[in-house]
Amino acid sequence: MKIYFLTVLKIVFLIGLITSCQSNLPKDVEEAYDKLPEKIDYGFDVKPILSDRCYACHGPDEDSRYGGLRLDDEEAAFGMLANGKYPLIRNKPFESEVVKRILSDDPALTMPTPESKIFLTAKEKAIIVKWLEQGGEWKPHWSFIKPQKQALPVVTNRGLVQNPIDNFVLAKLERNKLSFSEKADKTTLLRRVYFDLIGLPPSKQAVDNFLNDTSKNAFEKVVDQLLTSPRFGERWAWNWLDIARYADTNGFQGDPERKMWPWKTWVINAFNNNMPYDQFTVEQLAGDLLPNATTNQVLATAFNRNHSFNGEGGRIIEETRVENVFDRLETTGTVWLGLTFKCTRCHDHKFDPLTQKEYFQFYDYFNQTSETGDSEDRGMITPVLDLSNSLKKEELKKLEDYLKKIGEEVAQVEAKKFKGDERIEKYPALKKLSGSALNQLKIQPSLRSPYYMKELIQGLEKSDPIYVGKLKELSKAINKRRGQARKHLRVMVMDELKTPRTTYVLGKGIFDNHLDSVTSGVPAILPPLAKDAPKNRLGLAQWLVSKEHPLTGRVTVNRYWQEFFGKGLVKTSDDFGLQGSLPTHPELLDWLAVDFVENGWNLKRLFKQIVSSRTYQQASKITPELYELDPENKLLARGLRRRLPSWMIRDQALFAGELLHHKIGGKPVKPYQPVGIWDEATFGKQKYKQGKGADLYRRTLYTYWKRIAGPTMLFDNPARQSCEVKPLLTNAPQHALITMNDVTYLEAARVIAQNALTAEQTAEKQIEYIFRTITSRKPTVEEQQILNKKLKEFKEEFKNKDIAEAINYVSVGEYPLDETLDKIAYASFSALSSMILNLDETITKQ
Amino acid sequence: MNPIEENYANMTRRSFFSKTALGIGGLALGSLLNPSLLSAATKKMGSLAGDNFGVPHFVPKAKRVIHLFQNGAPSHVELFDYKPKLRTWHGKQTPSELLKGKKFSTMSSQSNTPILGNITEFKQHGKNGTWVSDFMPHTAAIADELCFIKSMHTDHVNHAPAITFFLTGSGLPGRPSTGSWLSYGLGKMTDNLPAFVVLTSLDKQANCGQLFYDYYWGSGFLPSKYQGVKFRGAKDPVLYLKDPNGMSREMRRTFLNGVEELNQMNLKEYGDPEIQTRIAQYEMAYQMQVSVPELTDFSDEPQHILDMYGPNVTKKGSFAYNCLMSRRLIERGTRFVQLMHAGWDQHTNLNTQLKKQCEDTDQPSAALVKDLKQRGLLDDTLVIWGGEFGRTPFLQGSIDDKAHWGRDHHPYAFTTWMAGAGVKPGMSYGKTDDFGFNVVENPVHVHDFQATLMHLMGIDHEKFTFKHQGRRFRLTDVHGNVIKDILS
Repeated sequence: MKIYFLTVLKIVFLIGLITSCQSNLPKDVEEAYDKLPEKIDYGFDVKPILSDRCYACHGPDEDSRYGGLRLDDEEAAFGMLANGKYPLIRNKPFESEVVKRILSDDPALTMPTPESKIFLTAKEKAIIVKWLEQGGEWKPHWSFIKPQKQALPVVTNRGLVQNPIDNFVLAKLERNKLSFSEKADKTTLLRRVYFDLIGLPPSKQAVDNFLNDTSKNAFEKVVDQLLTSPRFGERWAWNWLDIARYADTNGFQGDPERKMWPWKTWVINAFNNNMPYDQFTVEQLAGDLLPNATTNQVLATAFNRNHSFNGEGGRIIEETRVENVFDRLETTGTVWLGLTFKCTRCHDHKFDPLTQKEYFQFYDYFNQTSETGDSEDRGMITPVLDLSNSLKKEELKKLEDYLKKIGEEVAQVEAKKFKGDERIEKYPALKKLSGSALNQLKIQPSLRSPYYMKELIQGLEKSDPIYVGKLKELSKAINKRRGQARKHLRVMVMDELKTPRTTYVLGKGIFDNHLDSVTSGVPAILPPLAKDAPKNRLGLAQWLVSKEHPLTGRVTVNRYWQEFFGKGLVKTSDDFGLQGSLPTHPELLDWLAVDFVENGWNLKRLFKQIVSSRTYQQASKITPELYELDPENKLLARGLRRRLPSWMIRDQALFAGELLHHKIGGKPVKPYQPVGIWDEATFGKQKYKQGKGADLYRRTLYTYWKRIAGPTMLFDNPARQSCEVKPLLTNAPQHALITMNDVTYLEAARVIAQNALTAEQTAEKQIEYIFRTITSRKPTVEEQQILNKKLKEFKEEFKNKDIAEAINYVSVGEYPLDETLDKIAYASFSALSSMILNLDETITKQ
Repeated sequence: MNPIEENYANMTRRSFFSKTALGIGGLALGSLLNPSLLSAATKKMGSLAGDNFGVPHFVPKAKRVIHLFQNGAPSHVELFDYKPKLRTWHGKQTPSELLKGKKFSTMSSQSNTPILGNITEFKQHGKNGTWVSDFMPHTAAIADELCFIKSMHTDHVNHAPAITFFLTGSGLPGRPSTGSWLSYGLGKMTDNLPAFVVLTSLDKQANCGQLFYDYYWGSGFLPSKYQGVKFRGAKDPVLYLKDPNGMSREMRRTFLNGVEELNQMNLKEYGDPEIQTRIAQYEMAYQMQVSVPELTDFSDEPQHILDMYGPNVTKKGSFAYNCLMSRRLIERGTRFVQLMHAGWDQHTNLNTQLKKQCEDTDQPSAALVKDLKQRGLLDDTLVIWGGEFGRTPFLQGSIDDKAHWGRDHHPYAFTTWMAGAGVKPGMSYGKTDDFGFNVVENPVHVHDFQATLMHLMGIDHEKFTFKHQGRRFRLTDVHGNVIKDILS
């Protein structure tokens, strides 16, 4: 490829003069040119083309750069090449080498090269030509420029504006000769804002209150009440758990349990207390480094220990450790910076101005914790925060001191016994041992695995009884300490080594391929650290939330916008780099970001701003015209209609059945799941033991999350293997099977029916009760007819069968049966409830 | 939306270059094979003015794939890659030049690596005199149907990364698996069953490193409807399939009619096409409630067919059961079956375990190929057999302790066989050195293998990409060459 390219360069050199005379555009390009907007913007029009089609060979990555040409750097792109040519020339498109090449139809000359299988459209060619004609203005990538609040756009229909968000959205709509949709009706709007703010539907009482409240600020009152509801923190914690790859087990082989749930409670409280997002950031990334850090601040740093942990036998512990550091820094990059650092692990980023060296400078921040990569403590890998009482802690301390003493003794004995690799010659008995057992000798005694030491002990028992005696003592001490530690509530958190670990650039991202050593630092494309910033995670965290930072505010606001509107203003909420999507409403994004930061990173305020906008309050009805024009609703000419996340669907069912248990925080629980659900993943070694009573009815947030076999009643949720910030949405038959057949849903349906039968006397009222309980509204006359008919059909079918069938049907779940009810009615209304729980309207925010 | 149409809608801008030779022409050709594709495709081409394209890029040889994935890594030198020199070198240290710079799992002791002679006997079979181990008599008997690639090699030395690499093109979790790519690109062929199904089985001694992680069949960044649907080896192959106690099929029908009627009313009011999809998916769920039990009910299989697959065929969750299930699935329109069998990780039990493992898998694998052939299905179904890497020609364990002989992970050479659609039968491709240690002729990297698989499905692996987090991803990353020599 390289050789080929050089040949091409020579040819170009020879015939350069001929091509430069042709300034006429090919016909298709000319046609495209005529349709272009008046002003071509570098960031929004030109750069995406260069980045997408050219950077792979002519971008920031030096190793894969061809012909010495780079188009990501202004100076180079407009400067002279080694062959005397100029890639880009302002005001003279047809003299620019780039234009000549992209317009050429000679396969030997044309760019991108035919074998790259990358092509440019006529429109894209025309854009580059026109941009150069207009002077080729060059700007840094939009997201790297600090956002500014621009003046609010003027709109024609001012009566529609409820707050500044609307100015931006309506202005764009009006430019497209559109306007807002009508407002959603009150019930729909109430339901929408309930799901959005607290993840639960409104009660019937709440609906009535709102419908009856004709005051001007009726909606605002509801919003204020929801923002102070303790359910608020639970709803927003869910997203943070997905982002933080939270699970109750390590993942990988054996998938041992960990106890990170106190951190989960910390997150719920943080949202409920409206902890400013900058503080939320600093405490989670570096709470341990704050002066006089409180227990809670240290607990917050569990964020960066939530990654999975591979304890597979035969793993190299350093490799595991390095992978964990990768995860921490890449998670941080995605969550706060919206940048994809992963590519830079192995080479300079091909698209974004990030170098591999910068990756490892960033890596250095996360490389200074005492975690070794060894998984001896299974789910409680040090460093840990022990939340047990002081008595227990003292007990553990004693065992640890003893273990330390024995460990040192063993080390002394071994130092005399084995020198280097002579051990096998000296001890023929060792020959028979497996690699894993032999490896034990290389590990510091107090960290050894009693499991593998068994083999060592057996192998040496005859030849060296005294040494073996010491090993046995060591084994016992390890087991004792371990047994005690497992009884403790120990949460994995971050700490900082006293003597820093040297960080190396790792060649190709391979853990032991040490290249140059580096120290901590932030990418050059972003603002520098404050002069007095500590050289550690605290300095990094403070830098992320500094007012100068161009990314954190935007990325955060965008990610939360996504929760309300289904997708972010920047659709790629995980990528604000050159390959990410451009914002649909750049000025709005910037305005919101600046406003958010100016007002103390106040999330509740942001949410209130969003839901108070006319933009948010639109009906979500889709007209064919609007669908044709804007299928993705990029212009926001209508409200969002989108299926609820599966956890919210489940919570809703529990709520509608008045089954939901309102306790906040605490240990994970094990609700209904099919029998034997862990058998396959664990070869039958671990059993899912279903909980009882209240455990069956807690919000889904508290469901035990086994990383290798996540909760089966959820769908489209991140698997919590790694950080995920973009919601998934699919529409699959398995989802229907879950909401139709999972015990939680069937039991909720049955209890709703039971409540209706008790509360109301006539079938019509009972049907209405059920329908309202589930959908928040009364059925229309037509719907009432269908429901009546269905009820009759269910009744007929149950009547025609053995009564045992009806009893079976209502016996689902552990909630007590109402023995006083007529079984046929009980079962038929239960089936009807289940039907309504499965309506598209029920499971959709609309 | 049907997947092809949806695909058009989803296709990224890069797609436009298909306007060249392979594009529209290739599309039309591909569509000839499936009339339903043609109408959808042309319709969409019209409305999108050629700005998008779909796969296949050219006439596919294979419409369906059954991948018999052997988790844990079968020993190539015991089964298919006959190396008489191992026996003459038995007990002697492995030449150091072979070990130099090589990485192995931390389970083997690096200071002591005696060559271990193959514990199995080999004989030549079929018209081409293919060497096959006596542990695999059934496979040996169909050697003329198979194409052995003896020069496979990979980048990873531990199970999970190597399996992930083989199935997704990357050692780290998070990329779409092959089956997801194919169902994303090619759509489904039935409304009653998923396009991509995963079946798993394991032997009793399966131990470390052989868990089935769901990212082995994950859709990565592709929409999750393309992820493999894992049928469980337990009593319910699909979870939540069974209606609750007391609910008859008639009632479920009544129920679904009610859901649909009410959803239709909502559709009228809101005009959201998602409601239509929802109605269709509820219908699919209803179909699966019947089609899945029908699929798993072997009572319509004649005894001689059951006998072909061997004694375990009716044991749910066994390899034999899954082999027959694979055939039944593809007969019913599933496109990609990923059958994963764990238990090949013989670190310490080569002498006891390998034979059992072969007994469990040899007959059903061969039966599947024969069964497909007699039904004419082998012509457009591709069968693949192989693991994530090979095993060391040297011993893991002590030479004196025969009962615990084992071999460690070996990424530098292993054997995979293919059969059926578009692959030359009765051939061996590639060669390893006299120890079966390194590839010496026609190396086939995992990415090459994947490129070839895509090619057989009518897809140019370099063109079939998906943009995610700022990069265009493809199954073969930035590598892979189609192995033309094995194409029929």
